[in-house]
Amino acid sequence: MAARAASFRRGFAFNPSPAVSRALALALAAFAIVYPLLLDPISGLLDDSVVALAYVIMGLGLNVVVGFAGLLDLGYVAFFAIGAFSVGWFMSTFYADANIHVLVSSNVHNLPGIHLNFLLVIVIAAVLCALAGMLIGLPTLRLRGDYIAIVTLAFGEIIRVFAVNGDSVHVFGNGYPLTNGRQGITPVDQLDLPFVKPFTQLDLRPWYWLVLTLVFIVLFVVIRLRDSRLGRAWVAVREDEVAAASMGVPLVKTKLLAYTVGGAIGGVAGAFLAAYLNTVNADQFAFSFSIFVLAMIILGGLGSIWGVVLGAIVLSFINNRLIPDVLNSVPGKLGLDFNLSDLGFGIFGFLLVIVMVLRPEGLLPERRRKLELTEGVGTDDALYEVRA
Amino acid sequence: MREFISKYGLIAVLLALPVFYGVKDLVDDGNLAHLGQNLFQGLSNGSIWALIAVGYTLVYGIIELINFAHGDVFMIGSFVAAGLFGTVGLGLATGVGGLVPGLLLVLVICMATCGALNVMIERVAYRPLRSAPKLAPLITAVGFSFILQNVGLLWVGGSPASVPDLIHAQQDVFTFLGITVQRADLLAIFVTIPLVVAATLFISRSRLGKAMRATAQDPDAARLMGISVDTTISLTFLLGGMLAGAAGLIYALYQTTVWYFQGFQAGLIAFTAAVMGGIGNLRGAVLGGLIIGCIQFISDDRIGPQWTPAIVFAYLVLIMVFRPQGLIGEETREAG
Amino acid sequence: MSTPATGAAPALPLADRPLLLKAEHVTKRFGGLVANNDVSFGVPERSIVSIIGPNGAGKTTFFNMLTGLYRPSTGRISFADRDVTGTRPDRITAMGMARTFQNIRLFGTMSALENVLVGQHARMKAGLVGSVFRTPGVRKEEARVREHGREMLAYVGLPAAAFEQLAINLSYGDQRRVEIARALASDPKLLLLDEPTAGMNPQESATLTDFMHRLRDERGLAILLIEHDMKVVMGVSEQITVLDHGEKIAEGAPQAVRDDPRVVEAYLGKQG
Repeated sequence: MAARAASFRRGFAFNPSPAVSRALALALAAFAIVYPLLLDPISGLLDDSVVALAYVIMGLGLNVVVGFAGLLDLGYVAFFAIGAFSVGWFMSTFYADANIHVLVSSNVHNLPGIHLNFLLVIVIAAVLCALAGMLIGLPTLRLRGDYIAIVTLAFGEIIRVFAVNGDSVHVFGNGYPLTNGRQGITPVDQLDLPFVKPFTQLDLRPWYWLVLTLVFIVLFVVIRLRDSRLGRAWVAVREDEVAAASMGVPLVKTKLLAYTVGGAIGGVAGAFLAAYLNTVNADQFAFSFSIFVLAMIILGGLGSIWGVVLGAIVLSFINNRLIPDVLNSVPGKLGLDFNLSDLGFGIFGFLLVIVMVLRPEGLLPERRRKLELTEGVGTDDALYEVRA
Repeated sequence: MREFISKYGLIAVLLALPVFYGVKDLVDDGNLAHLGQNLFQGLSNGSIWALIAVGYTLVYGIIELINFAHGDVFMIGSFVAAGLFGTVGLGLATGVGGLVPGLLLVLVICMATCGALNVMIERVAYRPLRSAPKLAPLITAVGFSFILQNVGLLWVGGSPASVPDLIHAQQDVFTFLGITVQRADLLAIFVTIPLVVAATLFISRSRLGKAMRATAQDPDAARLMGISVDTTISLTFLLGGMLAGAAGLIYALYQTTVWYFQGFQAGLIAFTAAVMGGIGNLRGAVLGGLIIGCIQFISDDRIGPQWTPAIVFAYLVLIMVFRPQGLIGEETREAG
Repeated sequence: MSTPATGAAPALPLADRPLLLKAEHVTKRFGGLVANNDVSFGVPERSIVSIIGPNGAGKTTFFNMLTGLYRPSTGRISFADRDVTGTRPDRITAMGMARTFQNIRLFGTMSALENVLVGQHARMKAGLVGSVFRTPGVRKEEARVREHGREMLAYVGLPAAAFEQLAINLSYGDQRRVEIARALASDPKLLLLDEPTAGMNPQESATLTDFMHRLRDERGLAILLIEHDMKVVMGVSEQITVLDHGEKIAEGAPQAVRDDPRVVEAYLGKQG
């Protein structure tokens, strides 16, 4: 019985040869590209797919911080917020006193406010989030892992408080509040990219292909980084800080780069989501979102790029489809009177516990992480004496 | 020298708010009654945080885990209390003669429930991960926090539910030096102090308390000395959970509302308190709870309640970054 | 590790060689506990010197200060004529000091080769952008460090078949080898070995002794050794420093140290 359980667990492990996995990846990419043609351009499934891919980007970003560098970040929602606000600030009529238009088409030319091209805004979002990542990272890096987790959580909550109450904060004078409070900033400019028709909510395919392009770019970046000098330094720092520092790896710089890269990727996803959802809603930036993204990468497999892709897609479909559409009718049938969409975060909490206890390496484990989590390789010793 | 700066720097930062508003009061009103009222209410509310913070600090002291679900155990305690009031026949009309034994019964049940819940969480979510990297049990702790919040959400609903005001919490008892003392304040202070003293005595005097301290220092050596480490850890969770249960009851009586989200906020505040006092240090946790309570009330009253969480978290970040050993924690020596 | 040492001693006598590493009046306190008290000490260039002492004498604490893991409470440490007191460990490694650990600290989930690549971190330049775009410079560098890494692994005698194996799957002896290769990969001038023969049989210890001579004579390294095995210490050291209760109680040539009554007392307890 025990042997069967063990072989069952091993049966899950997915270790194809490089050639096979490359072919598999190409086939998947090809399918991902043609997939929307199989669907109605405004179908709910396509809508959920767009959101799922945006979550994939989020997951890949958080995975750099938690999976690669081993820094538990419980405030990742901060980057969603900053990315989304980049869209709110620079792609809407929110700052109506300003009148700035950069590389935008005629349909927003006559509107007041700041209107930048989305491609510019995405870069701004990435840069702002990279800076925020550094800002959040810098003071935390001397701390032990669990303290880092709490400090990032606190930063995330502080940013949420500012998002919700920012309508009374005027940094650049009276017409320029930080946020629009709970009302949110809506609508934001429709996307208008070079060489394609302006995006509308009536045809979701261009959105899909845009976010898919972003996914491909982010995948390329994280794979290249994983297999680089920096990627090795991340693993070294995660496994044994003392040995890593003694081998010439600068701890602070290495960890900061993880926060910076992870933050920038989160900012890209946040900007896209704000544009796609056509709103910057301050109430979205809650702690539970950070845990939602964390659950994706834990389920998929910490550190495993393909695991994270899978985990993000699975969880976002559970969140957007399964819970509201399918499960909601269940309690009624059973004679219970609660709304199952309320169960969302309980399910993610349950997933975190179950996966961590029963299969900590996730669905598609990364080889190293599996060893660390199941064989106890690595050490939690931290360098308290070394200055940041 | 660095030690000196960080310790007194922290004290100065903590004193900044009260001193600023104290001076302002003196200029505006000519006396300190307003600030005194803030501080008094802060102390009484802070004593609830202190009870929760002790649970954090006990668990951290023994297995170096931030028991993230602890605040939600406290929330469940409040829900149990609120649910039991009617069951044991307590209502608005119940007089003191019925109230005292009734509430004592509820207190015992709350403490037992939360203690058992906390032990169960340790057994299910932390013990299997004891040899895993430290972040693994922290992740399951967050997971359990979400599960409990969801239980609370299904139990009472999404918005705060009111609880019968059994003790007439807002009723003034007396006024002293311009500070009004309400029944709720007396309740919080007079239930908390004996509990904290009892817990401290238990840990410093009893055999089980000694086992706890031994396990905290060196689990392997404790095992060699014949101490059952698993039992000792369970006991620590039991004790922490019981204090959280007591805090849950006091909170329900004090605030006269309960909410599924109260545990998340209270947990973070109490954790801040535990870190402020020096995590692992019982007296520090109590002190931290009282200080955080004061800061909260000053902020609620003067700056606006919507900013209070940001202020508390800013303190948390400042303390963790600049003085992670807290006010009275000692620097631990590394093996070398 | 198999070729016997040449035995050719360096040209200058020990006392005339300039000091590569110098510690002056170094004290380390942890709270009330004094781990090292006023220790002064030097490692001449191209030399093999040892620190010995009973358990708990403060040897590893002293090592940790030299390599930057701990900051001395008072005192000064200089390396290659630069003050490194309180300098970060990665900077010290970049200056040319490398170490191994008493309880082997390899990166268990990395292959032997990857471990040695991390050892060259300070000798590489690839940054964030270069790594993403894999510029020609980055490619060239990656090829170079891989080649150098393989050389180092071969130099310490690791069989080529083990290069790609995960470090935790290697035998104990091979792990020791990889750890030394990882330290050597950073091109150090000074190599610090913390009880390298722990867990080795006498024959392996002898091989390691020869290897240390080779490192000094072929690569011009200075070696600082913490060691319990007196046979190794006496056989390899040009100078021995004895620590007891955190203080230096004796220093000198192996023979002199062995006969020093204070050393005998520290090891055996006061007689009579």
